[in-house]
Amino acid sequence: MALQPAAGAKDLNPRQVETNRQLTERLASVYRLWGYDEVSPPRVERLATLMAGGAIDSSDIVRLVADDPLGLRPEMTASIARAACTRFADRQRPLRLWASGTVFRTRSADEGGQCIEENLQSGVELFGVSGSEAEMELLSLLMASIQTLGLQASQKPRLLLGHTALMDLVLRPFSGTLRDQIRTALIDFDRLAIESFDLAEEEKSRLLSLMDCRGTADQVLAQLTSLCGEQPVFEELRRLCVHLALAAQAQAVTIQLDPTFQPHFELYTGLVFQLVCDGRSSPVVIARGGRYDDLVSRCGAKDYRAFGAGFSLAIDPIREMISDLDAAAHHQPDVLVAFSTASNLESAMERQRSWHQQGRTAVMALEALASKQEAEQQAKAQGDLQLDWVDP
Amino acid sequence: MITVALAKGALLKDSVARFAAAGLDFSAVLDKDNRQLMVPTPCGRARALLVRNGDVPTYVAYGQAQLGVVGYDVLKEHQLPVAQLVDLGFGGCRMAVAVQESSGYVRAADLPPHCRVASKFTHCAREYFDALDLPVELVHLNGSVELGPITGMSEAIVDLVATGRTLRDNGLIAIEDLFQSTARLVGHPLSIRLDNGPLSSIVEAIRAATPVGSSS
Repeated sequence: MALQPAAGAKDLNPRQVETNRQLTERLASVYRLWGYDEVSPPRVERLATLMAGGAIDSSDIVRLVADDPLGLRPEMTASIARAACTRFADRQRPLRLWASGTVFRTRSADEGGQCIEENLQSGVELFGVSGSEAEMELLSLLMASIQTLGLQASQKPRLLLGHTALMDLVLRPFSGTLRDQIRTALIDFDRLAIESFDLAEEEKSRLLSLMDCRGTADQVLAQLTSLCGEQPVFEELRRLCVHLALAAQAQAVTIQLDPTFQPHFELYTGLVFQLVCDGRSSPVVIARGGRYDDLVSRCGAKDYRAFGAGFSLAIDPIREMISDLDAAAHHQPDVLVAFSTASNLESAMERQRSWHQQGRTAVMALEALASKQEAEQQAKAQGDLQLDWVDP
Repeated sequence: MITVALAKGALLKDSVARFAAAGLDFSAVLDKDNRQLMVPTPCGRARALLVRNGDVPTYVAYGQAQLGVVGYDVLKEHQLPVAQLVDLGFGGCRMAVAVQESSGYVRAADLPPHCRVASKFTHCAREYFDALDLPVELVHLNGSVELGPITGMSEAIVDLVATGRTLRDNGLIAIEDLFQSTARLVGHPLSIRLDNGPLSSIVEAIRAATPVGSSS
């Protein structure tokens, strides 16, 4: 039986690797323009760090067999936040960091056993900014990032915005286990669960109408104002959406505010967002992020600077979406250096070196060839390469 | 185009009728001569995927189908992230623990600890016996689970009961219900969240065509 990679692990071909590299480099150049410094957090961490203070379930983490409780990182935010609060604690705020690399998650495969999800991601973290200015910078940077990726309008990019303060408003009348159950039902869009709760009909109708409440910031905030009165977070969201409108329009991104949109894990403590595109057959989340002040606080930051927010872009689905567009960009060799039986490999390699000095991609025919015709045939077979025939 | 996952078998006819009320004609899937697994509506707005009952939540959870119709029993067994939108009321049955009539057991808690229980729905059964704090050995079978107690392989079974006739004909009796099940309209949560009208109008039309309290 052929040896297979572990279920879900990525084993990429040269073209996929090349496209991943191009995408991460394009994003990196945008992050650098915005003043972000690159860091490289560890792939292996202690479980306590990886679980981000309980925000990430231990069952999602690929654990290592070791004396210490270790695992592979399911995301990079927790490690970067720890670095920001320890060895970068004395650095000037705002602290701007970016990182790219593979992240690992695990889940039970349908047929039993463990399925590993290995994904390449690239993202930024911004520390030390308490106000919505952090979100304004991050979402503007996200728009600049997707501009460099060259997404098409036909992929219908949509920016889903939520806020923990909006969810808290929705859940304000409830407490304890019921509150958690309602939160889960709203996030899962489970109407039947809402209808099954032991609540007054009026309360159920309110929750169901809030579940259906989504659209432009103006529409949603008008509806929420009529239900709960004006709240400080509304003005913050209006300002953010007005600020983003122009950049979003230029990228054909639709902005949708959704009070019941939240990720399941409770890492975020403010704005949350996802950028979703139409994939070949279903919607694909290509970026996600938000504010995570509590995590920064748990990492040991002093109260007056325990602020953090960031986002990450999922490179693999982006590559799948733009692979057709970038096919031509794949780097191909353009010269074949071949030598006759009268010459030798050493002289041919000298010639190859001179091509490399000119910045040309030259590959060797490592065995002596009987004739120039044979060398021309090889050059043609390898993709119409220019032939450099070494024959004294 | 809207894609709907429909389960082959007992739920199919009623599912087609409900979508007809929402203006989507999937009647071609009921044609005995139909061998196509992906059937478009004559209007071209939607298409149906004809799949096995247990595969409906999978197609919806992965987003290949935005909507689907499947029994609550299947949703509870597979535990996939799909949004439950409407209780359609038809396909009513119950998940029950059944034993041989002659066994003398009257409650699930009477079963001896560590006995074998056969089921196609091992996740539901595991959850139920864990809640009872009764340790049992679950044996997964793909069908004809009534044979478990008859052959002596298991002390009890956990299975769907509609009329109870199969149990009676095989000398078994249901002693406790786990839950009632009916067909549900389910949706892909992200697609529903991103929808700006087409999906919600179908869901609302199906809700309007569903008699209130029909599940009881």
